[in-house]
Amino acid sequence: MLLTPEIVTISILNIFFVIFASIAFYFSLKIVLKYDYNETTTLQYTLEKQGYLVATIIKFIFYIKVILFIFFIFTLDNISTILPGAMCGAGVVNATPYGTYLLILKIINLYIFAYWIALHNEDMHSENQKYLKLKFQIFLLAYVLLLVEIILESIMFFSIDTKSVVDCCGAIFSTTDGTYMSTLLNIKHSILLSLFYGVFFLMFVAYILKNKYLYALLNLLFIIISLLSLIAYFGTYIYELPTHHCPFCLLQKDYNYVGYFLYIFLFIGTFQGLLVGLIDFSKEQENKKYKISLFFNTLYVLLISYYPLSYYIKNGVWL
Amino acid sequence: MIELKTISKVYDNNIVALQNINLNIQEGELVVLKGVSGSGKSTILSLIAGLLKPTSGDVLVDNKHISKLPDHFCSDYRRDTVGFIFQKYNLIPTLSVQENILLPLVPLNPDEKELHVKLENVMNMFQIEHKKDVIVKNLSGGEQQRTAIARANVNNPKIILADEPTANLDEKLSKEFIKILQSLKKLKKTIIVATHDPLFFDLDFVDKMIELHNGKVVCC
Repeated sequence: MLLTPEIVTISILNIFFVIFASIAFYFSLKIVLKYDYNETTTLQYTLEKQGYLVATIIKFIFYIKVILFIFFIFTLDNISTILPGAMCGAGVVNATPYGTYLLILKIINLYIFAYWIALHNEDMHSENQKYLKLKFQIFLLAYVLLLVEIILESIMFFSIDTKSVVDCCGAIFSTTDGTYMSTLLNIKHSILLSLFYGVFFLMFVAYILKNKYLYALLNLLFIIISLLSLIAYFGTYIYELPTHHCPFCLLQKDYNYVGYFLYIFLFIGTFQGLLVGLIDFSKEQENKKYKISLFFNTLYVLLISYYPLSYYIKNGVWL
Repeated sequence: MIELKTISKVYDNNIVALQNINLNIQEGELVVLKGVSGSGKSTILSLIAGLLKPTSGDVLVDNKHISKLPDHFCSDYRRDTVGFIFQKYNLIPTLSVQENILLPLVPLNPDEKELHVKLENVMNMFQIEHKKDVIVKNLSGGEQQRTAIARANVNNPKIILADEPTANLDEKLSKEFIKILQSLKKLKKTIIVATHDPLFFDLDFVDKMIELHNGKVVCC
């Protein structure tokens, strides 16, 4: 069992999340089952009031969870210094069978929680609260995912054995392994880069055409392709080492914490892009979302493209 | 224009303020709500103003469900549609007359010129211009009342709600207030006055007289 100050902090916060989210779940269920905007009974007014309070509780839980994601990554990186064999967060994720699932679930939850906040904000700006029932329906699902995440996180932290030697990122993200990871890493760079820049270019086309569903779909693709190309191709230029594919080491001081910038740009850009297709915004709002999305996605592309280009300019060869 | 459908209001301490109230008020009407203290008059005004939510039932103003509006939309509705005159005027005593009158316009952030025109108009209409720089706490009761009426009208609202507007005025000033109401009615404003002042009961320009008792309409 591992108890660092960061894990204690996360565990205490998790207890609060479970308590408050469970209260919110009970009322959300009531609202989903019984709320009807057209009714004017005592029950409906009571549900409206409860809905306002419960939505505020959920909003704060999700705001904290979104911010905590960065803290979680930071914690993984910190723990890696006390795990034998681990060089970065990747070693910690791989130290237990739950780490990978937890990380994937956390990324999915990050988008769902942020989506709920955006939906709630939009609901509060609509006169007839058109998303009231939908947002509580989504919370019912998010609550289950939140619980699974907390359970997985607790199991992972409590099952880390500080005496066992774990794999370092070099072994986990190895191209010669014969694993799924090595298959992904061995995708031809030309294909990967064509997809990466192609999808990025298509986003501009979708923006010009104002096709919001296509734009959202492209953003979904962009998340996957960006992460894949970061691990398989761009990462090697950040580390200036053709065999180093780790998505965690770039969060460290040695690389100027560039990973935090990259991931935050990618998250804001793709999240705003997904929102365009998921929520019915006013034209003005929609245009604002498009622009924020394109701005951050472009920042991501510029920053990540800087590394291979600067390497080529300095050395005259590609890795 | 204003419709109250089977409205009931029970306060948190289980006091039943209104029971199954149905009211229909047309645009431009002057309606007097009469009844003893605690009969539910002020609660009706607060519901129409969106200051309170009913326990059950619906309040519709221009077919908009006021009782269903989220709080910040209620604030917008009040600012744009309703002018409220309170029994104790609810002026800010340390501000001048013109500062008090301009208060409802502050969130709208209007330009100086528009502000000045609106201010001049209402101060002229309610004959308080000569006191515009006087601090409100130094005014007489009648002047404070006129300031409160000017403030309620500065945004040119369609609905004027007055809660016991003459309770702190002598008979002469009360009659002056009634004249002001008559002039507002001529401007096609919808006016609802909650009062137990007998001066209001025999006015020929009142369109409806509604009597409340223990939260129920007993006579129209």
